[in-house]
Amino acid sequence: MPKQEIDGEELFNLALSIVGLVLKNGPHNTSELAEHFGFSEQTIKKAVLTIANSEDVGNFKTHFYLDDELLDDGEVDFSVAESMLTEPPVLSKRQVTALAAGLDYIASLAQFANNPALKELRELVGDSTTSVVRKVAGNREAELMAQLQRAVMNQVAIECEYVNQLGERSTRTIDPLRLDFVLEKHYLRGFCHKNQAVRSFRIDRIVNLRVTANPISEDSKALEIPLEVFGTESTELSVKISAEPEAAQIFWNFPSYSQVITKDGRLVGEISVGSLQALGRHITRYGGLVKVIEPPEAVSAVREFAQAALAPEIAPENED
Amino acid sequence: MAKQSPAQRLFTLTCCLLAAPRLGLSKQEIYDSVQAYADSSDDAREKMFERDKSSLREMGVALEVIEVDAFEEQSAHRYLIAKGSFDWPKDLELSPEQFQLLELAARAWNNRLMAPSAQSGLTRLKALGVVPNSRELSVFTPRLIARHQSFDPLAIAISQGQQVSFSYRKADADASVRLIDPQKLRFIEGQWVLLGLENGELKNFLLRRIVSEVKILGQVAQISDPASIAQAEAELAKFIDQQVAVIALRTESEAWWHFGAPADSEVTLTFMDEALLAEDLMEFGTDLRVVSPKSLADRILRGLERVVSDHA
Repeated sequence: MPKQEIDGEELFNLALSIVGLVLKNGPHNTSELAEHFGFSEQTIKKAVLTIANSEDVGNFKTHFYLDDELLDDGEVDFSVAESMLTEPPVLSKRQVTALAAGLDYIASLAQFANNPALKELRELVGDSTTSVVRKVAGNREAELMAQLQRAVMNQVAIECEYVNQLGERSTRTIDPLRLDFVLEKHYLRGFCHKNQAVRSFRIDRIVNLRVTANPISEDSKALEIPLEVFGTESTELSVKISAEPEAAQIFWNFPSYSQVITKDGRLVGEISVGSLQALGRHITRYGGLVKVIEPPEAVSAVREFAQAALAPEIAPENED
Repeated sequence: MAKQSPAQRLFTLTCCLLAAPRLGLSKQEIYDSVQAYADSSDDAREKMFERDKSSLREMGVALEVIEVDAFEEQSAHRYLIAKGSFDWPKDLELSPEQFQLLELAARAWNNRLMAPSAQSGLTRLKALGVVPNSRELSVFTPRLIARHQSFDPLAIAISQGQQVSFSYRKADADASVRLIDPQKLRFIEGQWVLLGLENGELKNFLLRRIVSEVKILGQVAQISDPASIAQAEAELAKFIDQQVAVIALRTESEAWWHFGAPADSEVTLTFMDEALLAEDLMEFGTDLRVVSPKSLADRILRGLERVVSDHA
C-alpha cells in the first residue's frame, strides 16, 4: 500500500535511491517508480523535485538537469550535470542491523532454514557468517508450513485435528488466510467453520493436516485479520500478577489493560486471560519469576498445574 | 525560488560535499552553496547545519571534519564525505527471490526505531532495480518484537558508537553494574542478545536479564573488528552445539507434537541457556521428563517447587 507521508530524511533517502535507479536503468514513469519503491506518485514527484532543486547557489553549479515538461507528463528523466552522485550511499549501520536481524529471524523459521538464497543474502547484507541454531532438528513443522502456504495461496480450505491449549483434541475445517510468526510461536490465522469466527491456531498443535480442493468462501476472502494474535473473548478474567524484570515479557504475551508499575524491583500489573488452566502453564514456565496475586482461583490454578508437573505421568526409566 | 525543504537541503548538501575538492569545504562555503542555509539567519543555519550533520551520519553518509591551519576560526574546519560512503560492493546483485526475502525481513519489524531503518535500507537496495517476481511470501506475516526497555537505547548507542552501562542479572546470581562497548544486537533462539565488549573482551548479554535502564554514557565506544565479532559469534554457536539435553515425551501429547512427533518419543535439543530451556520445558507440565543433564532436571524441580510454594 502506498504510504502518503514521509519525513525529510526518508524523502532524502528516496531521492538518493531514485538517482541510483534512473542513472542505472534509464527513464521511468512516476507510476513505475511508485510501484517499485512502494510510495505514492505524489511522493515520488516530491523526491524528483528534491533532485532537481539541488543547485549550488554559491558557485552557480547545477548538479542534475531535469526535464520539467516530461515530469508533468509523469516521466522521470534527468541527467548528471556537475554532480558526483551516481548511487545512494551504502547502507547505514542501523539499516544493516535492522535488515540483518530481520533476516536472522526469518532464517530461524523452519521453512527457510536451508534456503540457499537466504544464506547468500545474510552473508551479503549481514556480517554474520554463523547460522542461527535451532533447538529442534526435525521437519514436521517445515512440512506443515509448506502445505499451509500452498493452501493460503490457492485459497482452499484445510481439514485437521487441533489440540488446544487445554490438551483437548477436536476436528476442524478452516479457511486459511495468513501465516503469522510471532517470535518463536507460529500461527495459522483463519476462519474456523466450527466456531464461525476468525481464530488463531498454533501450527505445532495442528495434527493430521489435509489440504482440500474446496475453495474458501467469498466472505472469508473479505475478512480483515487483526495484527494481534490473541482474540478478545467475552469470558476473559483479569488477573493481578507480579513479575521479576527478567519476566517482563509476560505483560506483552497477554492483553493487558492496566498500567504496569514497578514496586520493590518487581513489575506489578494485570493481564487478561482466557482460561485458568491455560494461565497455569504460562505462569509456571517462569519457575517462580512470576507470581499471581489475585483472584484466589487463579492462584490455585497455578499451584495445581505446578503440582501436577512435579509428578509427571511419564515414568522415569529406572522406576522399580 | 521557493524555500528549500529539509530533504532538498540534505540532498544539496550531499551533492556539494561530493563535488568538493580533496580538502573539503569550509562551513562558509557550505553556507554559500546550499540555498536553505544562504536564506537563513546565522543562528538558524548553525542549528540546521548541526542537525543535518547528524542526519547525514545516521543515514550512513560518513561526514568527516578535518582541522586545518587557518587564520580565521571560521575556516579552521573543513567538511568532506569520507571515501567509501558511496562505494557499493562490486557486482552486487540480488535475485528476485532474495529481494522478496528482504521485503519480508523489513516487514517483520515491529519496533518504532528499527522498522523505519529497515524500510529505508530496503528503499536504498531497490536502487539496484530488481523487481520481485512472485507473491508467494506474501502469505507470511512475521513479527519481530523488540519490546525490551533496553532495546531502543542499545540500538541508538550502537549506531552512534557510544558506551553504555546497565545492571545485569545472570541466572542464579546477583545483579551487577556493567560498562559495555555495544557492538551488535542479534536474535538467537527467540532471544535478543547484545554482543558487547567488557574490558576489551567480547561477551553476550541477554536483553531479558538487563534489569535497569540502559544509560548512554557519552563516551566513544571501542569498536571491535569484524573478524573478532565473527569469531565470537562462531564461539557462541559452538557453545550452543555442545549444550545438549535429552527429553522424554509422552506420546501424542502436546509436547510430543511440538517437538516434531519423534517415533521413539525422545528428543535431543541443543540450547544456549539452561534457565531459558527450563522455562520452555516447564510450560509443558506433565507432558515430558528430562533424561539429561541432571542440572536441568534439578533446575526444573526447583522451579516447580517454587511456583507451588509461591502460590500456597
